[in-house]
This record gives sequence, C-alpha cells and structure tokens, in this order.
Amino acid sequence: MAAGNRGRRGIVTHLLQVVILGLLLGGVYALMASGLTLMFGVMRIVNLAHGVFIIAACFVAFFLFQGPGWDPFVSIAVTMPLFFLIGVGVYTALFPRIEGSARFTEMTVLLTFALALIAEGLLSYFFTGTVRSTDPSYKTDAILLGDFFIPTAQLLSSITSLVLLIGLWAFLYFTRTGYAVRATMQNRTAAQIVGVNVRRVSTISFGIGMALAGASGSLISFLFPFFPARHWQWIAILLALIVLGGLGSLKGAVVGALLLAVAAGIVSDQFGPTWSPMTFFGALFLILLIRPQGLFGHQARVG
Amino acid sequence: MATLQLQDVRSGYGYGPDILNGVSLEVETGKAYCIIGPNGAGKSTLLKTVAGLLKPRTGQVLFDETPIGGMRPDLVLAAGVCYVPQDRSLFPEMSVRENLVMGAFLETDKTVVAERMDRVFEMFPVLEDRLNQRAGTMSGGEQQMLALGRALMIEPRLLMIDEPSLGLAPQIADQIFDIIRRLAELDMTLLLVEQNVIRGLECTDWAFLLDLGELRIEAPSNEILDDPRIRELYLGRQKETTWQRGTGVGEES
Repeated sequence: MAAGNRGRRGIVTHLLQVVILGLLLGGVYALMASGLTLMFGVMRIVNLAHGVFIIAACFVAFFLFQGPGWDPFVSIAVTMPLFFLIGVGVYTALFPRIEGSARFTEMTVLLTFALALIAEGLLSYFFTGTVRSTDPSYKTDAILLGDFFIPTAQLLSSITSLVLLIGLWAFLYFTRTGYAVRATMQNRTAAQIVGVNVRRVSTISFGIGMALAGASGSLISFLFPFFPARHWQWIAILLALIVLGGLGSLKGAVVGALLLAVAAGIVSDQFGPTWSPMTFFGALFLILLIRPQGLFGHQARVG
Repeated sequence: MATLQLQDVRSGYGYGPDILNGVSLEVETGKAYCIIGPNGAGKSTLLKTVAGLLKPRTGQVLFDETPIGGMRPDLVLAAGVCYVPQDRSLFPEMSVRENLVMGAFLETDKTVVAERMDRVFEMFPVLEDRLNQRAGTMSGGEQQMLALGRALMIEPRLLMIDEPSLGLAPQIADQIFDIIRRLAELDMTLLLVEQNVIRGLECTDWAFLLDLGELRIEAPSNEILDDPRIRELYLGRQKETTWQRGTGVGEES
C-alpha cells in the first residue's frame, strides 16, 4: 500500500488511508461472508464450497468480459441469477438426503468439502490453473480526496456490496419470505409449527447465499487475481470472518469483515503484505479462545 | 362428530424404537381432552405425530376424515391443527408483535390478522403491554402466554398444548390453566398433555391414559379424578412428583 509516501504525510493521515482501504475491501468481504453465514444460520450448513463458487463466478465474469466485453459490474446481472439457480439445484440434489442425520452439520462439512474438490477439479480441467483477472479500464484508476487516495474499482465494488447487503436486509425484514427465513434461523421447529415450509425456505436461502457468492465473484474478478485453487485461501478467510462475527449472524459477518479487513490492512502496512493473511487466522485463534460464540453469536445450540 | 382420529398409529424418533405402539383414539369437535400418563408414555410423541413433526410408521391420522399422517407441518397447520410444544418454541429475537404476526403466517389478509391480534390481547392483556419486548427476554409465564396467543392467531380448529405448566411457579400455572379452561368453554377442540394431572383433568371433558405407548384407559375426566383405583395407580404417583417439583429449586416465575 502507500508505504512510499510515508515521509510526506502525517502518521494519522497515513493510518486513516490504511483504514479507508481496509474498509473498502471489507465491504466486498462482507458480501462474500454474508452468503456463507446465511447458509449456516438458516440450515446449519457449513459451506466449504462457497469459495470455489466465488471463483467459478470469477470465470463467468472473466469470459463475459473477454467475449461480449461486458463490464464486471454488468455481469452481476448474470452471475447473481445464475448462481441462485445453481444453488437451488445443488441444495435440492444434495442436502435433503442428509436432512434427518443426527450429525447434519458435520455431514455438510464433508459433503461441501467434496463438492469444493470436484468443482475445483472441473474448473482446472476446463480453464487450466492460469492466473487471470478481468481488466476493466478503471481497474487502476483512483480518486484523490484531499490527502486520501481512493482506488475507483474498490470504491465501486464496496458501494455495490453495500447496495446488495441493504437489499438482503430489506428482503429479510420487510418481506413475508424474509420473515420466514429469519424465523427459521431463530427456531426451526417454531417456524414449522407456524406454517413455514422450511424446506422451501432452506432452498431459497441457499440460493440467495449462492447468488451473493456469484455477485462477489464478479467483483473479485478484477480486485484480485484468481485461479481455481485460489478458493482455499478465500474460504479460510471467510470462515475466520464469520466465526469472529458469530456463526449465523449477518450483522456479525459484516462487522467481522470490516474489522478484519482493516486489521489485515494495518498488519500489511506495518509488517509487510506477507503477514496480512495471518491476521485472519490470528483473529480466529483469539476469538475461539476468548469468545467462542463470536461477537454477535449465541451459545452453541443443539440442532 | 370426530375431528381427529388415530388408527393404530406407531411412531418414534429417527431410527429409534417405537414410542407409540399402535394407538387408536377419537377426538370430537368442541370437546377438551387431556392425555395423561407417566414419563415416556408417548404423550408428546403423539402430539408431534399429529402435528406432522414425526411421520407415523404405520397406521393413519385422520382430521375431518382426511388423512394427515406424514403430511408436512405447514400443511397440517393449514388443515386446522395447531401445536404448542413443551419448550414454547418462540422466536427469541423477535418482538411479541412479530411473534404474533408469525403465528398468522398462513393468513395473508392483514385486517384479519389485526382483528385476531385484538382478540389475543383481550385474553392476554400482558402481551399488549409488552408488544415491543423481545420474546427471549420474557418470563416463563409470559412466554407461555405468548406461545398460546401465537397459536390462537391462526384460529385453529384443534389446538394441541404440550405441558403448558412446565417450569412455571404454581400461581403462574394457575393463570395458564384458567386460560385453558376459558378456551375449553369457548368450545375450542383441545388436546392437552399435562404432568400436573389433577389440574389437567379439572379443565377438560375427557381423558386418555397412555402408558408405554399404548392407550390404557379412556373415560370422562371427572370419572378418572374420582376413580380410587386410577388415583392410586397413576394419580398418586403423579401427585407426589408434582409436590416434589413444587418444592424444587430453580423454578421460573
């Protein structure tokens, strides 16, 4: 990051610059993490394949950019509905089979791990392991706001993430299906006995989680270079974010994402970028030691 | 006329053994029934099987002559059968109002929902006072009232209540039983499971005695209350445990 300018700027300005860049990235992290935490909250599914679907969406955005020349932001109009449908398909094909299992969550870890391996293999087979990235014209642009340097691509991505997250919030709090989703998150049996079709709600929620992964993929396609095996790094970061926030808590996912993105930025600035990923795992260790339920989580519930 | 019929129903959890071992019974419209019996008799299992939370392994459950056994819980509810489980199963993060609105989830007419909410407030004034309180922060008695209020939001034709007095201090339990008696007087068809056998029998017309997953006795509630043999066999033991529970520590108020 802007380490070279250090001498000319006050230390406070410099730190604020690091925080701003962290927050901008944090918005996109929040978008990725919210889909993952939604799946856990509604269905108690730990989706280890979330990262690989984000990478798959990167490929969709990449080829739409290479072929018809669609801007990655425009490709969200394709990746979101496409991955919603893939999510509905994946959920319907796989999860009802293990629904009654006493160790459902553990089973989902194995199932989605296998899914991630298969999807990664397919992506590598068809598209090779080459490092790619979409190159929209604004990719290296920046806005200078007083003393602050704001990369256009990250700003736009962050705003897009914010809009999508507000959309998710509005859906959850102001629509009938949204109420059903929240009810199922809070008490599955209670939702059933007031007449919520929890299978349908689960399918829709999984689809929404995947749609958010799809949208994130469009954004990640130009923010970070990607290749099929890159998803392991993403899922590790995302799991750290949602455990910090509290598994199943959307508010927690957003706060966790912003906090850790800023923390990673500061670590990168102070100790060098190699140490940045360690921030996430350091925070994961700490939170598990001090407050295992996360910032906004509840004590572990059975089922 | 029979509202609910169970025909030789066997049911249980997961891959476990049968908890209900072939129960047949009939519930008539407008009457209040109490299911009694020792722990593990299958009382809650019976309610869960009717509610659609468990699938009967054999046999059939009929509601108004229509088979509902094994149907999804939301479809059973739509047919008119509502279940209030032992743990109340509220939405802890939602307010009292939101919980009541969720109770009428299947009712899409907003004016109907508002009317029903007013009726629930007539029966439970405390809920109107606590409208914006989060359900998870209420006392045990208030939570039970909210659970009953939420069930009334769908105006069920058959209301099944599992252990409404569980974990409540005696005077709070009394309030709950008063409400159940009022519901019975309103000619709502009630199916009640209650450990506090005497109070349960007092507010119902008819009783089923389950033991080890089988229906042992069925008779008018007041006859069972007065029958010395049954008193000795079942109620005596119950009375004792009720008394022990009453003096126990950690009761919610």
